[in-house]
Amino acid sequence: MNLDWSQIVPYIPFMLEGIWVTLQFVIVSIVIGFIIGTVLALFKIGSMKPLRIFADFYTSMFRGTPLILQLMIIYLAVPQLTGYDISPFLSAILAFGLNSSAYVSEIIRAGISAVDKGQTEAAMALGVPYRQMMIDIILPQALKNILPALMNEFITLTKESAIVSTIGYLDLMRRGQVVGANLYRPFEPLLFIGLIYWGLVMVLSLMGKWVEGRLSKGD
Amino acid sequence: MINVEHLYKRFGKNEVLKDISIDIKQGEVVSVIGPSGSGKSTFLRCINLLETPTEGKISVAGVDLTDKNTNVTKAREKIGMVFQHFHLFPHLTVLENLTYAPLKVKRLSKAEAEEKALVLLDRVGLSDKKDSYPNSLSGGQKQRVAIARALAMEPDLMLFDEPTSALDPEMVKEVLDVMKDLAESGMTMLVVTHEMGFAREVADRVIFLDQGLLIEEGEPHAFFSQPKSERAKDFLDKIL
Ligand SMILES: Nc1ncnc2c1ncn2[C@@H]1O[C@H](COP(=O)(O)OP(=O)(O)OP(=O)(O)O)[C@@H](O)[C@H]1O
Ligand SMILES: [Mg+2]
Repeated sequence: MNLDWSQIVPYIPFMLEGIWVTLQFVIVSIVIGFIIGTVLALFKIGSMKPLRIFADFYTSMFRGTPLILQLMIIYLAVPQLTGYDISPFLSAILAFGLNSSAYVSEIIRAGISAVDKGQTEAAMALGVPYRQMMIDIILPQALKNILPALMNEFITLTKESAIVSTIGYLDLMRRGQVVGANLYRPFEPLLFIGLIYWGLVMVLSLMGKWVEGRLSKGD
Repeated sequence: MINVEHLYKRFGKNEVLKDISIDIKQGEVVSVIGPSGSGKSTFLRCINLLETPTEGKISVAGVDLTDKNTNVTKAREKIGMVFQHFHLFPHLTVLENLTYAPLKVKRLSKAEAEEKALVLLDRVGLSDKKDSYPNSLSGGQKQRVAIARALAMEPDLMLFDEPTSALDPEMVKEVLDVMKDLAESGMTMLVVTHEMGFAREVADRVIFLDQGLLIEEGEPHAFFSQPKSERAKDFLDKIL
């Protein structure tokens, strides 16, 4: 086995650009997933039965089918059904955001249930309205408990994001494949982007640790 | 101040409160005593609707809490509650615990809320702890903060559910002293307690619950020296 790194040098800027492309939709997907996931979690613990049923069904559907299938359906079926020519970027953030929200909602729901019931009662006894109590008292405590699980979900999403290469989106993964095809040497570019993914995940983990440290004041 | 008429509470088939009626005047301090499981906590929690009464009517300061049109959240602002296990907000400092509800519920300005909170902290003897987090406090200190937090909403009425039961013995007094001070200041108080000393010295009236029934009520000295009912006699024999 002989590796020849010199050949990929001209392609390095092209591949590095993929970091930003990947990060862009990963970040948007995480934000979408987090917001929708929080709302779904609130549905699940709330008192409105239709909302609860909807949230459970939603979660079951997105967790029960392959992500790549969800991506394909959004990318291919939307144009076929509505005539709207959906871009790979939009398909990607929709698929990843919606999918992630299903997982995030379960994580947050568990985190909320783990907060001592006395916290709810203390807030209620002070006359704090439900919404306010959730935002200021319950969610901050829940988030602290679930941060490791949430970080894990974001890391998974970052890695899984590579499957958008299948719909032709020029992310990090796709760029590695393109360079490999150009050079007839797939191994070095794939190794190279592999290191980048690893680096991204490391940075995410460190950020998680940092936030965790900030949130654990009061312990 | 508090007016309870024919209050019933059932959990499924379990009837926990049976036909409780009582009037409590402004400024009165009433101790609720009785064996474990007799419904003391449930009774207290009905008064601020942490439990929904199954039947009956409860009004506090002229507001009928059991009326469907009453804004319960609003009514709770005027009813302070102190729990056995404190339930301070662990992610907020002591000062923030006290100012949170006045800021968010009463919409006081930050300066005003903090000024009032500092007066209260001074009153419970914890001015030096204002920037600490609850987890760094002792049990007695936590409970005093919890009392101050409830007082920060300037309630008409304070409910205490066994406020000293979770404390180490040496910390009981510091909390009881705060409560005594509060009673002397004219606060209306309803106190579930196993501290018979407190009931005897501080309370204006004792009510005795057993198996969900209000068996007996009376002036503390008379109640403790000459209980009228057999059940109260048995109970007092056991604990005194
Ligand atoms: N949320 C609930 N669901 C079902 N049953 C309950 C609930 N809360 C209380 N009970 C029941 O109601 C009865 C009275 O309970 P309560 O807590 O009011 O008693 P207590 O007099 O405060 O007792 P203790 O001195 O042990 O605190 C008990 O039999 C208890 O099991
Ligand atoms: Mg109790």
